[in-house]
Amino acid sequence: MDQVAQAMAHFASVSVLIALIIGSVWGTIAGALPGIGTVAALVVALPFAFGMSTEASIALFLGIYVTSVYGGSISAILINTPGTPQSAATVLDGYPMAKAGKADLAIGWATFSSLVGGVFSLVVLILAAPLLARVSVAFGPAAIFAIIVFALTCIAWVSAGSTTKGLLAGVIGLWLTTIGTDDLTGYTRFDFGQPALMGGLSLIPVLIGIFALAEVFHRAGRYFAAKPPDVSNVGFRMPALGEITLRMPQFFRASVIGTFIGILPGTGATAATFVSYSDLRRSSPRRENFGKGEPDGLVASETANNAVTGGALIPTLALGIPGDGGTVVLLGVLTIQGLTPGFDLAQNNPHILTGVFLLILVANFIMFGLGALGSRIFAKILAMPEPLLMAFIMLFSFVGAFVVRGNPVDVIICAVAGVAGVILRFAKYPVAPIVIGMALGTTFEGKLRQGMISAQGDFFEFISDPIALGVLGLTAAFIAAPIIGSRRSGERND
Amino acid sequence: MMKQRVTSAGLVAGLVLTASAAFAEYPERTINMLVPFGAGGGTDVPARFFAAEMEGILGQNIVVSNVEGAGGTVGATQLSQADANGYNLGFLPVGTTTTQPHLKRTSYNADSWTPICMVSQGPFYLVVAEDSPIKTVDDYVAMANGDGLKFAGAGPGSMAHVAQLTLDNKLGVTTRYIPTKGGGDIATEINGGRADATAWFADFGTKFGWRALAILSDQRSAQHPDVPTLAELGHDAQVSVWFGFFTQAGTPDDVVNTLSEACAKAVEADSFKENMAGANRLVRYMGTEEFGPFFRTAFELNGKLLEDAGLIK
Repeated sequence: MDQVAQAMAHFASVSVLIALIIGSVWGTIAGALPGIGTVAALVVALPFAFGMSTEASIALFLGIYVTSVYGGSISAILINTPGTPQSAATVLDGYPMAKAGKADLAIGWATFSSLVGGVFSLVVLILAAPLLARVSVAFGPAAIFAIIVFALTCIAWVSAGSTTKGLLAGVIGLWLTTIGTDDLTGYTRFDFGQPALMGGLSLIPVLIGIFALAEVFHRAGRYFAAKPPDVSNVGFRMPALGEITLRMPQFFRASVIGTFIGILPGTGATAATFVSYSDLRRSSPRRENFGKGEPDGLVASETANNAVTGGALIPTLALGIPGDGGTVVLLGVLTIQGLTPGFDLAQNNPHILTGVFLLILVANFIMFGLGALGSRIFAKILAMPEPLLMAFIMLFSFVGAFVVRGNPVDVIICAVAGVAGVILRFAKYPVAPIVIGMALGTTFEGKLRQGMISAQGDFFEFISDPIALGVLGLTAAFIAAPIIGSRRSGERND
Repeated sequence: MMKQRVTSAGLVAGLVLTASAAFAEYPERTINMLVPFGAGGGTDVPARFFAAEMEGILGQNIVVSNVEGAGGTVGATQLSQADANGYNLGFLPVGTTTTQPHLKRTSYNADSWTPICMVSQGPFYLVVAEDSPIKTVDDYVAMANGDGLKFAGAGPGSMAHVAQLTLDNKLGVTTRYIPTKGGGDIATEINGGRADATAWFADFGTKFGWRALAILSDQRSAQHPDVPTLAELGHDAQVSVWFGFFTQAGTPDDVVNTLSEACAKAVEADSFKENMAGANRLVRYMGTEEFGPFFRTAFELNGKLLEDAGLIK
């Protein structure tokens, strides 16, 4: 309680609140713009960290960090384009729901889920940060590899009906991550002699191309042929209380998964959404409706990705080890302010940590308010003539692709991915597996090889890690269950 | 306070402008400063402190842009191909400029740059986890000769790898190098007990709670006066990471002079020293005359070290 009072003395000021609101508004907008993801939104604000007080700058950046993850869901639902990679799984049920004339309800589910995930992980952060920080380092390369394998099973769920094409797309996604310099040997792979490819492909330009640009091209093609799909009822509608209480177990599962994966350094929110989606797709009583606009799909993705925010701050603040891309920039902000996150911060400046908790809590409620109030603005934006809206999306797509690494080549990569995305759509290939493959590929390969080097090439020693064995066993069981199940029901039918 | 700083910055800017007006009007527009690593990271933070000082001194905006990828070589390649007019400058670390060109056969090499000044340098410390059985460098040698020792670091040819190779040479042992993606991954491996030691900077204690066995420098550091140097222990191993301010080869002399003078003032500024101290970073200035030859020597020496280790194919 003493710490709370001390934190309040530092953080409870008008300037801190204003910074938090500005950060939250910018975070939501940036997240909703296709291409401007969490990291880019934070980086754009970085110069302001110099002129501000420590407390206000922490508020500004936490506001951006927490809300940008949520913002990505808005464009995912309304225009079939995830604003950030963390919202790639939100498209799967969010857009079908919007097409069914329930866009307002979809946004309501996404907003409420984000709030639940954010607050849940925050409570965990307050109660158990030091303990969980110690647990997180017990997850070695083999254990994280196993979790990524589990996340990859999501490819099967999102390509139901066209498994072969889905798996093929997943493999393409995995392969794309091998382009460029291999961190573990220093060799350059698949660069075809192009220095531009030496740095590899970044997920965001490809994601923007495959979703946003492909959507623009696709709509352009259809614009002259038929009427565009009518996404009506844009706004904000809270789901009914009964619907929410019915889904308590799903909220809980997604919150735990998101928080837990957030804790694991370098795994990230995108992986968390796919793990959560796979898990609920398997365990939910409404699993048959997944992909058709089932609220559980939104709960899986949006609860988990916002739960990562609190989870990822645990190793960041307690160990100085960033949990995801956004926390790397947050660490930088604290360093610029003369604070070293990690071992000493918890001991010497505990009020800063308490302040961080309070700010995240407030930011989560600001986010909820923004979702509720801002929905009218979204409706206005969507009411624009379609060619104009599409032109804006293209503009932001290219800007977004460029700002990720400041590399002009990424604009070309984005355009190529856009064309490829349209072709894949016409060929009836699901595109989500490409993104899943790309989002997970680097960690998948990196952890496998790092662990294999540690084990001197002995696969059985690598895999002997008990956590890894447990997770792999679980994955195998989940894959086997539906196959065995369908065989049994098949026998009965005979 | 703020006002005072602005006025004095304006005054300095005025002086610099009059001093260089005789030669040319440089700088007359916004300057771009490229950082070849991500925002908020180890290279970016000192770069932004430095850029903030240089802005005041040069009287022009300086935009820091992060161009990441492949050990900084993507950004450095882009920078080396930019116009040599003093508007495309770079804040580059030792690895990007002296080891990566050997490892990756980049299109740039030692001749591509005019090194303006060294801004910061931090020696490596040989560190272990708090609860590690290794208490001294002798324990380190004993473990390496006994059960074997795993030394974690970033990718092959990274500065941590250079430190491991140097230590192996000087201590006469063979340790196993565990490459990771760097930074947080190294910390996870050490704290999780999956690697035994690594080379890290002065914030090893405040950040990760680690213990230092020795400093890889010829003198003890004021930050950790009780950590012995390897030289004291009878092994002359020195490895440090430095950050320099670079422009392309062929940049006009008057521009280089202006930047050189500005750099000397920037690293002396109190606000810069305070910021760097707050971030646990050491200011180390080397002027253009000294830094040029120093850079070339480092380029050759690191090339030889990597070649001897069989890392250059």
